[in-house]
Amino acid sequence: MPTKDFLLNNIVWFMLIALVVLFSLMNQYFFTAANFQNILTQATVLGLLALAAALPLLVGEIDLSIAGNLGLSSAIGALASIELGLPTFAGVGVGVAFATLVGFINGLCVTKLRMVSLIETLGMMIILQGALLAITKGSTIISFSDAYIWVGQATILGGWPVMPFFLLAAFILMGIVLKRTVFGRKLYATGGNTDAAFVAGIRIDRIKIAAFTLSGMIAGIAGYFLASWQIAIVSDQGSGFLLYSIAAPILGGISVFGGRGQVWGILGGVFLLTIIQTGLSIVNVPSFYVEMIGGVLIFIAVAVDALRVGANGRR
Amino acid sequence: MTNHLLEIDTVVKRYDSLTALKGVSLTVSPGTVHGLLGENGAGKSTLVKTIAGLVSPTSGKIYWQGQEVNDADVEAMEDLGVFLVTQEPMVVDSMTVADNLMLGRWPSKGAFVNDRKMYKMASAFLNDLDDANLDPHQLAGELSAVDRRKLNISRALHSGGKLIILDEPTTDLSVSDKALLFDFIRKLKTTGVSFIFISHYNEEILEICDEVSVLRDGNMVGANQSVQHVSSDGLSELVVGRDVVLFQRQPQPEKPVAWSLREIRAQGLEIDELDIYEGEVIGFAGLPGSGARELGRALYGLIPGATGHLNYRGNAMKLPAHPALAIDNHIAFLAEDRLRDGFIGIQSIAENITLSSIHRVAFGGWVNRAKERKIVEQFSKVFEIKAQSQNDPVLSLSGGNQQKVCISRLMATKPQLVVLNEPTRGIDVGVKEEVHRIVDTMSNSGVSSIVITSDLDEMLRVTDRVAMFVNGRIVDVQPSSQLTKDIVFSKAFASTEATRFSA
Repeated sequence: MPTKDFLLNNIVWFMLIALVVLFSLMNQYFFTAANFQNILTQATVLGLLALAAALPLLVGEIDLSIAGNLGLSSAIGALASIELGLPTFAGVGVGVAFATLVGFINGLCVTKLRMVSLIETLGMMIILQGALLAITKGSTIISFSDAYIWVGQATILGGWPVMPFFLLAAFILMGIVLKRTVFGRKLYATGGNTDAAFVAGIRIDRIKIAAFTLSGMIAGIAGYFLASWQIAIVSDQGSGFLLYSIAAPILGGISVFGGRGQVWGILGGVFLLTIIQTGLSIVNVPSFYVEMIGGVLIFIAVAVDALRVGANGRR
Repeated sequence: MTNHLLEIDTVVKRYDSLTALKGVSLTVSPGTVHGLLGENGAGKSTLVKTIAGLVSPTSGKIYWQGQEVNDADVEAMEDLGVFLVTQEPMVVDSMTVADNLMLGRWPSKGAFVNDRKMYKMASAFLNDLDDANLDPHQLAGELSAVDRRKLNISRALHSGGKLIILDEPTTDLSVSDKALLFDFIRKLKTTGVSFIFISHYNEEILEICDEVSVLRDGNMVGANQSVQHVSSDGLSELVVGRDVVLFQRQPQPEKPVAWSLREIRAQGLEIDELDIYEGEVIGFAGLPGSGARELGRALYGLIPGATGHLNYRGNAMKLPAHPALAIDNHIAFLAEDRLRDGFIGIQSIAENITLSSIHRVAFGGWVNRAKERKIVEQFSKVFEIKAQSQNDPVLSLSGGNQQKVCISRLMATKPQLVVLNEPTRGIDVGVKEEVHRIVDTMSNSGVSSIVITSDLDEMLRVTDRVAMFVNGRIVDVQPSSQLTKDIVFSKAFASTEATRFSA
């Protein structure tokens, strides 16, 4: 039944269109360029983080530490610039390098030490959050150079913020890697059936470590973007993104069982979550309800994922 | 005819495009063992699943003690007394024999299990069965293979079983263990319990059964024949049918040695030397744990810590430590459990075929999809893989076509040595012969193959030589033309100690 499959595989885009229509009818401000610029900018950090979350999911693992990694690595990068006087790009580089290292360690723990990724990355998340609190001592980092905050603040082409262009570039790049490269093939194979992929000669451990490492690197870049955009690194930077960054790829069709899903689905999931948040606030739903409604929608999406997996006949 | 325990009357089972049972009838009398023969895909498992209530028939009637049974599910059939004991014994290893005997039906008071009562009941029950050698307090995980099967049968009896379906219960059993199992079955028979006994081996059927029925291609080609009136050859003819031309490998001219295996060592594996000739098909025969399967796995880097030396036409190499290294050294491996280790079910035929040889269709990490499509088309054509497109997920194919995809994946790596584990398990009769011919064609192009199969007839038909394994060592290597099933059996499968390794 291709129609049913088509509906299930693209549920996120149908929900997205429905919400855009609904919010546009409810408030005239919603369907304006200014609001879409706002939505796209907001979607950038979540989008990058969702890509970071998707990589471990594709190989059948999960990484809960990406949001914590985002926070701590951005603080380390910023402090490297501020305290040690490193140039901005070097400071950012230090932050991203740290985040990459954290991802690499996650990968080693999950493969070589056979730790269960759900618990290992939960532990890592708490460590990273705790370390951020420790190095900031509860205060907010705000003294950034102009160069540091350029990405988050600059506009081009008559008022369009630059952040969404990076988001777009990141998704195109990831799409190419997943669809066209040997590495992408191996990611899907590893998540699709780890045992068979191993017997087929794929070095499972290396692929998983690469997925976690790349995930950490992307989380680091997202960390820099968030700090540059907010012009602040608070002592619990990024913690609000955790569940949404895991939910977005799943909403978009990346299976929690591994080996399934496309990049453009993740983008749909990211937009959906962002539009829910901005839309609900534009139509004056009190912020107390926003989280709950978002939760319900995520719930629906995971139910759809279960249906989709069942429909495709997996045991 | 109410003296029958079970009567199956023209049962038909149709799946989407496939008719698994085409009007099958048979009867089972109380206190008898009823043999069920047929090749894989003949409909045996569909028939017993229908009897056990796992599958509901498309049409036809089932009578239990003369009463018609309608739309019965597993629970309803178990209430009547029909139990299916599968090849994989359903035993919880970490629980005791008594726990397993009453699994889910423990004597209890409220939420609490009455342990003392349970062990007392279990002792009494196991004593009554006369074979009191099962200790209720022993952990099920510590039991031998035959005792685990006895435990499963006992559990079915304890739950009120009157008709026990045994699906290939002698798989992996040594000769002496098999004798113990048969004694147990004979003893239970005298108490009025009936069995349906599924086997691939005519000898077993003739030894333990009272009656035998033969299925071929969903048809009952010989129902309720008394074993006194059939011979082993007669059964084979019924099983295979005269229209299937069985592949028989022709004697091969002398070829030079292609692969030399030296000092292969792993836990329970001690192979000093074995030479495999160019284009040779060599069979490895032996019980699980005998080293036959283990050597195949070791050659492909699937046994961690295995050591040894290989030599391919003068190129010395170490035993590969990972499948990726084995593939680099032109060794390929077909896994025994196709569904688990053979392919990625949710991915396409194309992606599966190039899975192991992706570097051959890629340039600098980029997949060349045009080149990939061409290679996949070639294999689809040569092996006649039946599918709508090469984008179909492999899980949607039939067992035979799945296996052809797996073999394509191996061949796409351009191997010189192919280890084939159970290459025709769960494949229809016709496709089976196709697979045999594929192996034959491969060998004509100079590829050496190792065939590991539990079907000795198949092994003798497709191989040039057979190496027989006991306790991790090769005890004999003989040309297949000079071997019979009995010789292979007595040399490789008769040992009692051999089963100890598998524990």
